[in-house]
Amino acid sequence: MIAMRDPLRRRLLRSLREDWGKYTALFLFLFVLISFTSGYFVADGSMKRAYDESFETYSIEDGHFTVKAPLTAEEISKLEQDKSITIAPLDYIDRETEAAHTVRFYRPRAEMNRLDVMAGRLPEAAGEIILDRLYAENNEIAVGDTFRVDGADYTVTGVAAFSDYSALFESNNDMMFDANKFTVAVVTDETFDALGDAGLQRSYAWRWNDDLTESEARTASTSLMSAVYRTAELTDFLPQYRNQAIVFTGDDMGGDYAMFQALIYIVMVILAFIFAVTTRSTIEREAGTVGTLRASGYTRFELLRHYLTLPLLGTFTAAVLGNIVGYAWMKKITTGMYYHSYSLPTYKTVWNGEAFALTTVIPLIIIAVVTSLVLWRTLKLPPLQFLRGELRAEKKQAVLKLRHGPFLNRFGTRILLQNLPAYAILALGILFASVLLMFGCMFSPLLRHFNDTVVNAKFAEYQYVLTEQAETNVPGAEKYCITTLQNNKKENITIYGVQPGSQYIPEVTDTALISEGYLLKYGIDVGDTLYLREQFAPSNYYPVTIGGTIDYPASLSIFLPIDQYRDLFDLPEDSFNGYFSNEKLEDLDEHTVATVVTQADLTVMADQLEDSMGRIFPLFGGFAVVLYILMMYLLSKMILERNARTISLLKILGYTDREAGRLFHRATTLVVLASILLSLPISYWLIQIIYRAVMLEYPGWLTLWIAPWIWPFMVLLGLGCWFGVMALQRRTIRRIPMGEVLKNQD
Amino acid sequence: MQLQLNDIRKSFGEGENRTEVLRGISCTIAPGSITILLGPSGSGKSTLLNIIGGIESADSGSILLDGKPLDALGDRALTRYRREHLGYVFQAYHLVPNLTVRENIEVGAYLSSHPLNVDELLRLLGLWEHRDKLPNQLSGGQQQRTAIGRAIVKAPDILLCDEPTGALDYATSKEILQLIEDVNLRYGCTVLMVTHNAALSPMADRVIRLRDGAIRDDAQHDMRVHAVALAW
Repeated sequence: MIAMRDPLRRRLLRSLREDWGKYTALFLFLFVLISFTSGYFVADGSMKRAYDESFETYSIEDGHFTVKAPLTAEEISKLEQDKSITIAPLDYIDRETEAAHTVRFYRPRAEMNRLDVMAGRLPEAAGEIILDRLYAENNEIAVGDTFRVDGADYTVTGVAAFSDYSALFESNNDMMFDANKFTVAVVTDETFDALGDAGLQRSYAWRWNDDLTESEARTASTSLMSAVYRTAELTDFLPQYRNQAIVFTGDDMGGDYAMFQALIYIVMVILAFIFAVTTRSTIEREAGTVGTLRASGYTRFELLRHYLTLPLLGTFTAAVLGNIVGYAWMKKITTGMYYHSYSLPTYKTVWNGEAFALTTVIPLIIIAVVTSLVLWRTLKLPPLQFLRGELRAEKKQAVLKLRHGPFLNRFGTRILLQNLPAYAILALGILFASVLLMFGCMFSPLLRHFNDTVVNAKFAEYQYVLTEQAETNVPGAEKYCITTLQNNKKENITIYGVQPGSQYIPEVTDTALISEGYLLKYGIDVGDTLYLREQFAPSNYYPVTIGGTIDYPASLSIFLPIDQYRDLFDLPEDSFNGYFSNEKLEDLDEHTVATVVTQADLTVMADQLEDSMGRIFPLFGGFAVVLYILMMYLLSKMILERNARTISLLKILGYTDREAGRLFHRATTLVVLASILLSLPISYWLIQIIYRAVMLEYPGWLTLWIAPWIWPFMVLLGLGCWFGVMALQRRTIRRIPMGEVLKNQD
Repeated sequence: MQLQLNDIRKSFGEGENRTEVLRGISCTIAPGSITILLGPSGSGKSTLLNIIGGIESADSGSILLDGKPLDALGDRALTRYRREHLGYVFQAYHLVPNLTVRENIEVGAYLSSHPLNVDELLRLLGLWEHRDKLPNQLSGGQQQRTAIGRAIVKAPDILLCDEPTGALDYATSKEILQLIEDVNLRYGCTVLMVTHNAALSPMADRVIRLRDGAIRDDAQHDMRVHAVALAW
């Protein structure tokens, strides 16, 4: 005898058709979520691989150093032999465009730090130039354009990913790279020579001949630095592991991986509960049938399997299609994001088994486990309870007496009590969506606000940092001291020494002041003593006792009276290495100026963040709105269907569709409104925690600021979604027949 | 399959609200017979049927099925018992709404390793023309025929019917009773039918009258009257 297939299977397609609204909404949501996350995981994995492989593909340097005078061939050869390295010259010259953008010119590279030409070709003739692809895009420079630098015109022959500049850091000490105002470029040797000697940096890149571990590389780097120091006058020494232009991208890649993982799992759990609650509602509707099947000998497992089939099939189909779309198209969102932030080489999409598991296997498990747990609880009831339709707890308890208040309120309360689990899930979903919405809405205003406060709190129009002491005659210029130390989290902290009675920072009198961002980030209290270390000599540490705070959001800084500063670093009484000034210090020799910090430098971090992440923030907002609508639609639909008989009776009694709907929507409206209002402080509290955790991993500190318009906007948006859903549900109410429900009642 | 009930007791509620629904029911049901449990509402007849069906448990007493005690069975074994030996028919049909007549009957067939031929059964039930209709396209009688088909397709040893004609008109009720009788004669299954309609008594081999949870009368009929001849 051939075992018969469960005939209940044949109703699956019909159930799907009958409940197409619910399944379509869930399917589409799952599909979009999975395609987006799968696209992200695939793109992230593929780009990370392209980035990792670029170290070998393009022979990225293991470090570089800069010396005052060029090394001789013998010196190079000796260093190569002694330290088991290969050295390649890497001379460069910085020149400015008319828009004050810095262009770093290099000679053609053959041995190390090769280019991935992404459009056009390498320069072959004098006056030709190839630029960084991202800078060119940001400044709308196309192949064939003329590019003017320092009074000379160059023809752009191509754009490329410079393997040693995946993040366009002009200086390794910059807080953030700037792909808008800084680019690297390659010209022919002839063109390079024509640039002259002014500002020419004699730089050399090296690669270890042997494979070294990171700790071996660190030791070897220290040894190499000493060797170069003994050979020539060293002005810069930057091993790869400290070179932000190379490693920043890799460190940042995958940084959102955990966030997306958490996102998909939380949404899956919420969806699983929606599946569970709506399926439970179906079981309640079919209680008599379920009871009969159980009484006839159907096992709980057989019924569970039956009711699980559609949610699992739906999830599986959405996952498979989502993955296909993720691989084919959605990855472009993520790669676009990466290409918009970093100068990455060309990537190839690679199969990502982990992404498949994360977006297919685990969602299926989550849906199966959560739905099974909820349904099993219901199916555990004895068959008799199904036959009697006694599935809800309230039927077993005494009926709650509601004598006071208008009929509408009492009716609403009954609906509320009847559907508590559904409303709990609705509230939970709204909370989660609100967190996403707040997250999606807050960033752009936060960054703009940060820039505003940075600009408002800046000390001076110009902040000069000198390589050596130099005098200026510009009135109003004020000497100060500056250095960078590291805290025990290896984060750079800027230490200022400020003149007493300073016209730029009058707050500094006789104690050390800490910038509020630093205080907030590390939970420091006034009165604490901080121990800061030198980056390259961690054994040299400097204790600073905090006497107060200062509103300076631009960086993590400590401000000392200049005498205390000199004492701390054991400097002569008249020493200084910078000027604050509201005027440009034209009389300073350019060789004595290490850097000039202007307003643009202060806002570069927020600008860059806005630039690279600006496109993803609205996605969170859009996702939140879809989640709002999905939750509201499915759960309110379930409540209406659960009460179809009552609605039918109300219609028979003479209620209009609108009146009947109002009776049922009243409770949901209250729950939606209360959930949204409650979700605001809870979302804020959760975001504070998440934000702090994110910022701890991030250099610097952006103070959390929620734009005031966001609060009413969230309430209005949430309610708008609900009113839209309510209008949609009128159709559901209209379609509940009067006669049919009465005919079928047990 | 012989069914033996020994001192079955059942009560609901606690303290002052405690109601004794069954007060020591004992009887033996012969295999292949039609037995009617007759009584007014609240007499405990449906509770007794549910206890026999293993979907409700007695407070005390025992049920023996071919000498094997039923009350000692766990949940899983009770499901197996229902699956292998029982067919259930309710007043409210309880059909799967989005399965056709044939498929609803196949739902019962699925539970048996030796089900009856579904096509034959559809003809026997007079449902052949309606086999591809959904329950909401059927009359009450046709729905109940389908429910009976679902119950008997697995060739159960015992067919439990709880007010099977309770929701039907006179003519349809008679058709259904005839059908139950046909099933009993054709397949030899024991039929245990709960009803409050005394007029159905003549079609049974035995009529057990219940009142206030106790057997008031237990009458054996030497001659059954065919359902077609019943009148009320």
